[in-house]
Amino acid sequence: MRLSVCLVLLVALGLAVGSTPAAGQTASATLNGPVIGLARLTLSSAAVTFPDADPDSMPNVAASQGPITVTAKARTMVNGRVTLTVLATGPLRSGLNTIPASNVTWTASGAGFSGGTLNASAAQTVGAWNGSGARTGTQMFFFKNLWTYATGTYSLTMTFTLTAA
Amino acid sequence: MTPRQLVCAALGLAVLCRPEPAAAQKLQLSIAPSVITFPSSDPDAVPVIAAAPVTITYRVQQNNTGTWSLTVLAAGDLIAGPATVDISNVTWVATPAPPFQNGTLNKTIAQRVAAGVGNANPTAIGSLTFRLVNSWTYSTGIYTQTVLFTLSAP
Repeated sequence: MRLSVCLVLLVALGLAVGSTPAAGQTASATLNGPVIGLARLTLSSAAVTFPDADPDSMPNVAASQGPITVTAKARTMVNGRVTLTVLATGPLRSGLNTIPASNVTWTASGAGFSGGTLNASAAQTVGAWNGSGARTGTQMFFFKNLWTYATGTYSLTMTFTLTAA
Repeated sequence: MTPRQLVCAALGLAVLCRPEPAAAQKLQLSIAPSVITFPSSDPDAVPVIAAAPVTITYRVQQNNTGTWSLTVLAAGDLIAGPATVDISNVTWVATPAPPFQNGTLNKTIAQRVAAGVGNANPTAIGSLTFRLVNSWTYSTGIYTQTVLFTLSAP
């Protein structure tokens, strides 16, 4: 009989500590974020100047600005191709006198950037890589100095184009 | 007292000590709008993109002195085909605080959005403004992901 009493007390204890089931209510939402193609190109200088120099002592004249910093930012598809090119609008001109654009060359630094020779008919690659992101490189321009040039102040315009596939 | 009387007395004690069955908490939760859009923006001009505010309407009843909490869990990273953006780039700013709090989305651990004690009755509202860290490194595409809000009163 003593055993029966203990059993009853245990049952009562079980009832006393019983917990209420947890309650929960949910609601869902959808995040939506379109990312469209975009490109931005920045040059640290809008002008490149070659000082006059003696062709014998300085056959290749470096731009007085020093290296130009090129910052190329682009958004493209996964592993999409990004290219940066430069095209001269024509030869260097001083009145009726001209110097071929190909007498201007550049060296480059920075991942994806490459050196080259200016061209007035076909855009030349300055940089190329895959995927979105921001890249920074430098371009150091040089001018081939010759005795054959007529005197004058020569100029041309270069057009840089950043393209993201 | 006979053994039978003893048993009956014990049963009576058990009945007297048994707590009143707690009424289940009544919870209501709704989110509007249910689509949260981050407009595409230039990362230089808009480094953090804010979506339109989301209104959270909630009600907690029959909770007395118990605690309640509202959490949010992302089902994964933002996905656009093969491209992903880590969901931790999405944060929110919430009002009023308290009971709401700011936070960062997580895809593995539900993050607390709001918490309180007792009831929230009549219906209460809060506002969440989700923000996406903008970056040039994101690939193009239309990113989506689902987030699940859970209002609970354990």
